[in-house]
Amino acid sequence: MIRDAEGRYWEEGQEVFETPQAAPDPKPWSETRVVGTRRMRVDAYERVSGTAEYPSDLLLPGMLYGAVLRSPHPHARVLSVDATAAEALPGVRAVISGFTPLNAALRPHEQLIRETLFGPVRRFEGEAIAAVAADTPYHAHDALRALKVEYEVRPFVSDERDALAEGAPLVHEEGNRVGDASTYARGDVAAGFAEADVVLEEEYRTECQIHVPMETHGCVASWDGDTLTVWESTQGVFPVQAGVARGLGMPLSRVRVIGKYMGGGFGSKLSMGDYTLMAALLAKVSARPVKLFITREETLLSAGNRPPSNTRIKAGVKRDGTLTALDLSATGTGGAYRAGGTGGLDFLVRELYRCSNVRTETQDIYVNAGPARAMRAPGYPQAAWALEQMMDALAEAIEMDPVALRLKNISLVSQVRGRPYTTTGLEACIRDGAEAFGWEAAKARAEATRDAPVRRGVGVAAAMWGAGGGGPPATVILKLFSDGSLNLNLGASDIGTGTKTIMAMVVAEELWVDPDTIQIEHADTGTTQYATASGGSKTVPTESPAVRAAALDLKKQVLEIAAAQLGVDVATLALREGKVVTTSGPSQEVPLARLNDLRRRGVVVGVGYRGPNPEGKMVNPFAAHFCEVEVDTRTGRVELVRFLAAQDSGRVMNRTTYDNQVHGGVTMGVGFGMTEKRVLDRGQTGRLVGHGWTDYRIPTAMDVPTSLEVLPIDLGDREANSTGAKGLGEPATIATAPAIANAVHHALGVRITATPITPAAVLEALAAQRQESTR
Amino acid sequence: MIKSFAYVRPTSVDDALEMLGADGARVHAGGTDLMGCLRDGVFEAERVVSLRDVPGMRGVRASTQGVTIGALTPLAEIARHSVIGEQYTALARAASVVGTPQLRSQGTLGGNICQRPRCPYFRAGFDCRRKGGRICYAVGGDNHGHAIFGGVRCHMVHPSDTAAALTALDATVVAVGRAGERRIPIGDFFVAPSVDPTRETVLEHGEMVKEIVLPPAADDQRSSYHKEGHRRTWDFALAGAATALRMTGGNVAEARVVFSGVAPVPWRSMAAEEALQGNTLTPEVIGRACDAAVEGAAPMRHNAYKVGLLKGVLEKEMLRYV
Repeated sequence: MIRDAEGRYWEEGQEVFETPQAAPDPKPWSETRVVGTRRMRVDAYERVSGTAEYPSDLLLPGMLYGAVLRSPHPHARVLSVDATAAEALPGVRAVISGFTPLNAALRPHEQLIRETLFGPVRRFEGEAIAAVAADTPYHAHDALRALKVEYEVRPFVSDERDALAEGAPLVHEEGNRVGDASTYARGDVAAGFAEADVVLEEEYRTECQIHVPMETHGCVASWDGDTLTVWESTQGVFPVQAGVARGLGMPLSRVRVIGKYMGGGFGSKLSMGDYTLMAALLAKVSARPVKLFITREETLLSAGNRPPSNTRIKAGVKRDGTLTALDLSATGTGGAYRAGGTGGLDFLVRELYRCSNVRTETQDIYVNAGPARAMRAPGYPQAAWALEQMMDALAEAIEMDPVALRLKNISLVSQVRGRPYTTTGLEACIRDGAEAFGWEAAKARAEATRDAPVRRGVGVAAAMWGAGGGGPPATVILKLFSDGSLNLNLGASDIGTGTKTIMAMVVAEELWVDPDTIQIEHADTGTTQYATASGGSKTVPTESPAVRAAALDLKKQVLEIAAAQLGVDVATLALREGKVVTTSGPSQEVPLARLNDLRRRGVVVGVGYRGPNPEGKMVNPFAAHFCEVEVDTRTGRVELVRFLAAQDSGRVMNRTTYDNQVHGGVTMGVGFGMTEKRVLDRGQTGRLVGHGWTDYRIPTAMDVPTSLEVLPIDLGDREANSTGAKGLGEPATIATAPAIANAVHHALGVRITATPITPAAVLEALAAQRQESTR
Repeated sequence: MIKSFAYVRPTSVDDALEMLGADGARVHAGGTDLMGCLRDGVFEAERVVSLRDVPGMRGVRASTQGVTIGALTPLAEIARHSVIGEQYTALARAASVVGTPQLRSQGTLGGNICQRPRCPYFRAGFDCRRKGGRICYAVGGDNHGHAIFGGVRCHMVHPSDTAAALTALDATVVAVGRAGERRIPIGDFFVAPSVDPTRETVLEHGEMVKEIVLPPAADDQRSSYHKEGHRRTWDFALAGAATALRMTGGNVAEARVVFSGVAPVPWRSMAAEEALQGNTLTPEVIGRACDAAVEGAAPMRHNAYKVGLLKGVLEKEMLRYV
């Protein structure tokens, strides 16, 4: 979230609001009955049986299918689009391009760039040129093939390592640097290095990773007069509503966005896509509902990515393990547009370990490639890959255990922001994690395999996440029906993380009702209240206190109704198993369904708001990952034998979805570290090489750790918010890849500084090691 | 989206051949490769001829003359067939590591040896030499997965696991066309790019694989197949080895060594075979065979690791026989 000079908050180009606080937040629960247990998802049956309707499942009467023509060139000017033949095909109902009316729509951008949807210059392969709507997807794709486009092909640069060279083709006229380098400094790094006993310097690289959610990106758009309804696969219906309203110049009240189920986003669906506007415009032109979901190939080209990074770290340490200086310089690329190519890349170096002298410099670079979009802890896995390998190298250089070195440099205050954390689980994650993992024994076991063809190694890496505390705004409504059942109304999306289930558990905790009696209505701008997108690992810490506040507001009203009915003091009443009961004085009780005033009114409404975060404190999650590998020196195969993830995300709300989140985070980290890599044809055509699952390799069930243990570290945060929860989704993926890299180094004695750790990378590193030793 | 095509399902071999003779006709066995090729625009089809209802093309028949495997036999069936598992282990193992369980249930043996290359340039719409274009993009591009042997004009690697196993087991491919049947020794079935970079097999248009015949296995014959990929499953070989050895009294009487994932055709290594033949499988002999196997390798910019990998795979496989 960005705070501007006027004190307003912005996220992904959208203003975010604050909510009023009706009452001070209650203290977190001391004991819980429901929260913290293992509970199946409230929508498990719907999801498993297939009755859950995802936006891509939606079928409306008369609905057409949209498809997008995309540039086959990394850089070209579109001279003309001739749709004559396409429009003449049977079943083709609408064609839009930069050469048709209604081209004033503003395309979405991470930053506030005002540019039309189909601009004349296309700066990456896969950038949209035209869109069609037809009776079937087949007719639509036939129409795409019939479109005649004239291009003026331009020189391109596809790799940020080539883009700053003299004479490199320019992505934008102003040059390939995205503004000046961002810099940060505290203390005196020169003095810090002078003070150090050991100074190391190393370069690291991470490859571009793509989100590849199971449900591709898209929506169904339908007009009713001047009102547009969009069913979108999204992490946040309100940002989509704002984007569409702004893009089409409409009031918010005329745009309704619904996103009840969605098949994964990982950051790439935080706001609307160009596909959203295309669907809306095609629906307008054809006067029919239009479904536009992009293909898998299009997601690889155009729907976002975790950008590649190139990081140099110089670090100084004393023999006793005290860090004396950290100096980072890094480059990255958000692709052809301003999209945060280096965002978050230096934060861990500035924040994770105690160090007085820190300097960082990051430079974002334009290239002719698809734009980055926030991806699960943007910047952090790249940063951890570099910093956590450097920490390991320092430990080796001063002959200190890597766990001990990390424990030596814990900070209890946020060094970047100068405030203490509400709770700092870093030390507990590392210490308790190492103990639960059996670090010492595993290390000894590994040492015994040094001369064998198959060698063992152990690795550790730690992490924190710069967001994850959540915060305002959130507005939640909870309705009690006359029979005692409830409707929970919240604007937030459940992106597969179990949000709905956790919120039902919070209501059940506070009102002592069966969670299954709670109907959940969510993620609909027409019927629910404003919520920010589900991202930043902030949904639970943002929404759960608002849900709890709504439950308390409802409870207060219910108890007042009961007190009047029973003729007792409201202070003597409590809720128990769907009844109001007296807790002192003569024993009385009344079931919720027998509350006369409730029956007369038909409903009691509780409203809850998210209050502010604690003043002067930082709320951040922490983690430490431990990994034991077996490496076959003959084939380069790395087996993940054992993995343990210690996570400080505050209170465990639902142990089942907690474990799910960590399993997913570690799996994504395995992909980032070991299997995934976007390949662009550098120096030849600049085009994407490999268009599907066979070439863009995500880890399979066979590639994830055989044994994966989740160790929650709950320090009982009394300050963070009224439920004590911190974010989990992103901190669960940051430390995974460097933990693996450190374990591989421990097994082999060679360091693999570039992702992914493939059999090829291992064999190449071993060959270089042999060459080194024979020299 | 696939361009529209006609779909026909003949009920006899003759009808199938008649339909396959037409321009733009493509044969459909399991379809796991065909559908991907059509969707990715690798080639187009006017007419897809499904063999599903053609009788007699599926199943394994064992006799004293060896084993005959219908071209339409699913890989999963081959992987779990007891005779193949015992006497032609290399084939069973190769069939069991193709793709994923779904792909093995649907994919057939005939289709597996006739599949198109997986070179990402070839698949992703680059107008490469195998498509009749003028350059092989792998030469100046990303070639980590490409050939270290036999890369002439085109540097793709042959994608089939079973092709390597069948070559090690000395199989014969029985092809049928309107001109009749012909028996093609597997060693003559695949076409090297030095001969013609636009085709992978000697099959003519309108011709199809009917069955694959394995000669009787000698009592002392043992065989194996193993591949290494990026992932532990759902991946094509970076390097694989199919081996078939006859052992007498601890000595290798006869050896066949065929590699997958390293050359545009299943790559038989006579040098490795010679290093093994007549010797006991000591670490030294295995080491010499591994060194011999990679002699003459010509790695490209990103695939030198395949030299070491291939040696590693062969060494591990040889240790199975010890």
